[in-house]
Amino acid sequence: MSGLIVQVENLSLSYKHIHAVSNVSFSVKSGEILAVIGQNGSGKTSTVECVEGLRKPDSGLIRVFGKDPWVHRSEVYKEMGVQLQEAEYFSKIRVEELCRLFAAFYERPADWNLLLTQMGLDEKRKRLICKLSGGEKQRLSILLSLIGRPKLLVLDELTTGLDPEVRQNMLVSFENIRKGGVTIIMVSHYLDEVEVLADKILYLEKGKQQFFGTKQEFREYVKSRIPHDEWNDNLSLEKLYLMIAPKTTGLTMEGIL
Amino acid sequence: MKGFTAICKIELRLFMREFFSFFFALVFPVLMLVLFGGIYGNTPIYEGADVKMMDISVPAYAVMVIGVTGLMSLPLTLSGYKEKKIYKRFDATPVGKKSIMLAQVVVNFAMTLIGIAILLTAGKLLYHIQVEGTFLTICISMLFSIAAMFSMGFLFTAIGRDLKSTTLLCYVFYFVMLFLSGATMPDMLFPDTIKKVSALLPMTYAVDLMQGAFAGDSLSQHGKELLILGVLAVICTAVGAALYRRKDWT
Repeated sequence: MSGLIVQVENLSLSYKHIHAVSNVSFSVKSGEILAVIGQNGSGKTSTVECVEGLRKPDSGLIRVFGKDPWVHRSEVYKEMGVQLQEAEYFSKIRVEELCRLFAAFYERPADWNLLLTQMGLDEKRKRLICKLSGGEKQRLSILLSLIGRPKLLVLDELTTGLDPEVRQNMLVSFENIRKGGVTIIMVSHYLDEVEVLADKILYLEKGKQQFFGTKQEFREYVKSRIPHDEWNDNLSLEKLYLMIAPKTTGLTMEGIL
Repeated sequence: MKGFTAICKIELRLFMREFFSFFFALVFPVLMLVLFGGIYGNTPIYEGADVKMMDISVPAYAVMVIGVTGLMSLPLTLSGYKEKKIYKRFDATPVGKKSIMLAQVVVNFAMTLIGIAILLTAGKLLYHIQVEGTFLTICISMLFSIAAMFSMGFLFTAIGRDLKSTTLLCYVFYFVMLFLSGATMPDMLFPDTIKKVSALLPMTYAVDLMQGAFAGDSLSQHGKELLILGVLAVICTAVGAALYRRKDWT
């Protein structure tokens, strides 16, 4: 158990009569990066929101730093930073005011002035949040997740809305953050970033756990599920995923224009 | 505590940046006082009456300030925070959403006191209004009025499914009470039918209580008003809290 930062066993969650997550189990050790992948509506965000203590599961065990995040939320958040999939802030607050506010929530906050520079937001520090672009808001959201010097980071769609250059820089930054001993859970639709960053993969479909293991084990998992002649050792993680992911139909838009 | 103080400071700034709350809580009541004071002066409200227009207008406009903060600013801000998932974001920090809700109450309470202080100062300087009541009586009356209006606002936020429906609830109740409670014009000038409607409105009791406190009445003379406002505050807070617990915050 030593070094275990997150432990989830048989997690189930439903919204009214819809089973969003069924019997999901996984664990994350200190310094690891876990990528949660799956199609839209597969239960990725619901799963991580249970880990974040934002949703109460119907059943199952969740421990973050050995504590139940739903019961001990404020204690857990002293060491956990999150970037939510959808997060808004007070629209009439300035960037630096929001950073100062978040820094006040922690005993030993990071230097947010430095983070502003590193995130390329230094020139926007006086700007109202409502005047920021989508990408700038995303970078601010990531900055705020780091402000408490977390030991565990939960990032829900880290690079959504970022331009390719910033996205690339962000991946390098998070690789560096991991080298500093931070454990990361990331929800992502971009398998190229999963390939670069993740140590382990949790693959969900329709709320059910399809796979949990290392990237190499994921390759073996895919290999065992596809025809032999389609296999190639050099296939990217994205290609592998597309081979086993359920096919989405009805998105051709043919005949619309 | 450091986190909560920081939230209060930010909420205070946001209040000042929000034109509606700032104008209607701090400026509009004084404009009303100047406007009606310019028309009537501090003269008896009708010939032979003991009561002077500005002497009863200041406590009535004080209730108007309480109405703006309690029935408009507080519930609409809280409802907006829920809709924008700001509560959720704060739940993902060590301070949690309760801190931001409490900070909203603290800031609106503080702005109510400032609004009333400005109003009182303007009344004293411009129309030499007479305040016969003791400081303690006025404070207690004010606290009961604030508790009732704020808890009503809290209940509206809890009932409203979204910002739109909360806004509708707040606007309807606020404006009906504003015009029919005696907060804008003395209720003794109302016809009997309107007086019957007025007697059903919580704000009417706040206006009566505040006017009585300013005129030097003892609290025992306003037991009915204190009881109604007190019970209303307890019920609205309890029901509002129960409904809030059942809401989906994510």
